[in-house]
Amino acid sequence: MAGVRETQKQGTRRKVLEAARDLFNEIGYEESTIRAIAERAGVSVGSVFTTFASKADVLSQVMDDRVEALYAELDRVTRHLRGTTCDRVCSVFAIHYDFECRRVKLFLAHIAASFSPSLDASTIPYGRNSRFKGMLIDLLADGVERGEVRADADLELVLDTLMASYAWNYRLAAQQAADATAMTTIMERQVRLIFDGLKA
Amino acid sequence: MNHIPMRMHAPSIRPQKLTRRAIAKQQTREKVLQAAREMFVERGYEGATIRDIARAAGMSTGAVFASFADKPELFDAILSDDFAALLAPMRAAASMAPTDREALVAKFGAAYRAHGAQLPLIQAALAASWTRTPEAEKLRREAMRPIRSLVTEVLERAVERGELATRFDLRLVSDVIWDLYLAGYRPAAFEGLPVEAQTARLAERIDLVLASLKVQAA
Repeated sequence: MAGVRETQKQGTRRKVLEAARDLFNEIGYEESTIRAIAERAGVSVGSVFTTFASKADVLSQVMDDRVEALYAELDRVTRHLRGTTCDRVCSVFAIHYDFECRRVKLFLAHIAASFSPSLDASTIPYGRNSRFKGMLIDLLADGVERGEVRADADLELVLDTLMASYAWNYRLAAQQAADATAMTTIMERQVRLIFDGLKA
Repeated sequence: MNHIPMRMHAPSIRPQKLTRRAIAKQQTREKVLQAAREMFVERGYEGATIRDIARAAGMSTGAVFASFADKPELFDAILSDDFAALLAPMRAAASMAPTDREALVAKFGAAYRAHGAQLPLIQAALAASWTRTPEAEKLRREAMRPIRSLVTEVLERAVERGELATRFDLRLVSDVIWDLYLAGYRPAAFEGLPVEAQTARLAERIDLVLASLKVQAA
């Protein structure tokens, strides 16, 4: 019996996550109530709360699921990236912009929520994604080996500087409805600026 | 250099001739702003309702709405006032700096210091910046322009003096540095990083960016 209940619970969870993902992206995070999410998923409000602690928790799980798909894609691609370290770093950012812009309103809600002072312990806010960072650190370390990046460069510092640019460029999507191509173009200029100071 | 006429929002500056009615209106507005600031700092943006703010200001919610259309407008008015009030301390902090790089760091350090006591307000502001309406965003950008130009000013002067080379568009450099400055509020808000460490952290990142513009010895 426990097995059936578990299956049901998983089914509810999946339905809620899909409904929330679409609703957040269509009408925005603030405007999406738990009631509306439950209605769209065809489940009761109570059953949403048996699986998730809060709306913020739902959002963080939605984002977490999406990330799985993105990294499956990236893991395949990164080995085949060509060009200089700088080019390859630009490509990784381009893939991220492209992916997040498919549901950009959802992603903006995710960033906005990460500034909330009242995060649940279970939620994973934007900016704690270690796979993204790990991928870039590997590329930078590789750049040192290839002699393209100064050996004494503080890679964590470089990473953090790149990530600040990457994240704040989403403002262009929020405020000027910029698309992935526009953000990638600007990011490329920023990455080149930062890399210029890193030359070996 | 571009000099942008500054519109001060600071309460001390008033147009010269005001009717009694206009003065009363202005006083109500200031009372609302004062109460709202306290409420936002104490309860965060979501937690502070217009009703709470009205009560703290000792007036009706209707009186609050006579001065501000809604909560986002009230919130943005506070932010604009705060940033306008930052101009003087940022300039003053930079005036003692021996190099342009240090002037830049000192300016941001002054901003971090001024905001240190009201981090919840800044957190709410940063959260709001992703979901503002285009009109509200335009107004906000207008209000921020004098502060943004403080960064560009230093970079332009450094180029004039030959401290920095012009291999890159200064606007690009200025934007990257500005984003690093904003990103610096996160560790302060979530990890309790003190102002000195927050400023030192930003300085490291600014150096990384400016390394690309260093004038190379012939």
